[in-house]
Amino acid sequence: MSVDTGVHVSLEEAKLLVEYLETGQQEKADELITEIQNPMNSELFAEIGKLTRQLHDSLNNFQLDSRLNDLATADIPDAKERLNYVITRTEEAANKTMDAVESIFPVVDTIQKQIKAVNPLWQKLMHNKLDLPEFKSLCIDIDILLKTTDKESVRMHDLMTDVLMAQDFQDLTGQVIRKVIDLVREVEDSLIGMLTAFGLSSEGSSQPSKPKVGDNLVEGPIVNAAQRDDVVADQDDVDDLLSSLGF
Amino acid sequence: MFSPEGALDKNMKVLVVDDFSTMRRIVKNLLRDLGFTNISEADDGSTALPMLKEGSFDFVVTDWNMPGMQGIDLLKAIRADANLSHIPVLLITAEAKKEQIVMAAQAGVNGYIVKPFTAATLNAKLDKIFERLG
Repeated sequence: MSVDTGVHVSLEEAKLLVEYLETGQQEKADELITEIQNPMNSELFAEIGKLTRQLHDSLNNFQLDSRLNDLATADIPDAKERLNYVITRTEEAANKTMDAVESIFPVVDTIQKQIKAVNPLWQKLMHNKLDLPEFKSLCIDIDILLKTTDKESVRMHDLMTDVLMAQDFQDLTGQVIRKVIDLVREVEDSLIGMLTAFGLSSEGSSQPSKPKVGDNLVEGPIVNAAQRDDVVADQDDVDDLLSSLGF
Repeated sequence: MFSPEGALDKNMKVLVVDDFSTMRRIVKNLLRDLGFTNISEADDGSTALPMLKEGSFDFVVTDWNMPGMQGIDLLKAIRADANLSHIPVLLITAEAKKEQIVMAAQAGVNGYIVKPFTAATLNAKLDKIFERLG
């Protein structure tokens, strides 16, 4: 019974096979038989073997590059801490500022109320229509008003200074954010290096990929609205868009 | 919500929803400044919804981007619940893609304010919402 598989053994191969068997090289003989039967497969295995070795060597090279290790184990956790620091500092500053502002509002309201209370009698005085008892009452009220305003404006001044000082967060958070930007740049370079080393660089694609969006297209604040055509620039744009659609 | 004289009842129960406490504080202050006195807070759509189902709220002001349940999904849940669907909802958010604005309008939002915003804008949108419902 003969089956034509399209595979033809050569004389050289047969001789080599006998030689292997006579010298007890069973493994090599088996390899040879496999190769004769499946020339394609053995080429494939050889290629895979070569690639595996390349991959192994590349991975070893990366492990030897301790910078990558440092990035993963120290710098990136450090960056996360830094960014959390930014959140904390900005929240503190916002609350400090709002504390001061919330203290100022009632002070301003009080002064306004007192002025409004004094005004009727004052107007009468301005029109020469004030009698003596009213005049005495007006003097007392104005005295109170002056003392109150004096005291409260000192307080407001202090509170405004608090507001001013609370803005110091920007300098500190700015410095921290700069450091994180540097780190991100380094990670970006390393990633590009890795992609290139594995022959996966995206030189072919001309368009930079768009940033990731979440559920419902969520993307957070847009930082480059001028370069995009899918976002609105301000509230007027929002209102225009909605009314153009009949909402 | 409307007092017998027909004016807007600023005693109405308002729920302010945002995952950043500073933003909740700002909105609360602005609403107080406009005369609203009955303001509650929630830090996520997922905590807001049970509050709405339980207590008779008249108005919701919410952010979009929140980790548990987004504002858009809160809006949809409100509109889908027969007991809540009448409540006007105002979105105040940094999300600024045109598609998103349309999405919100189609989901039944009553107003859309993009951050950063001004007190004047908030005031104008509130007037518009309650004038439309009157």
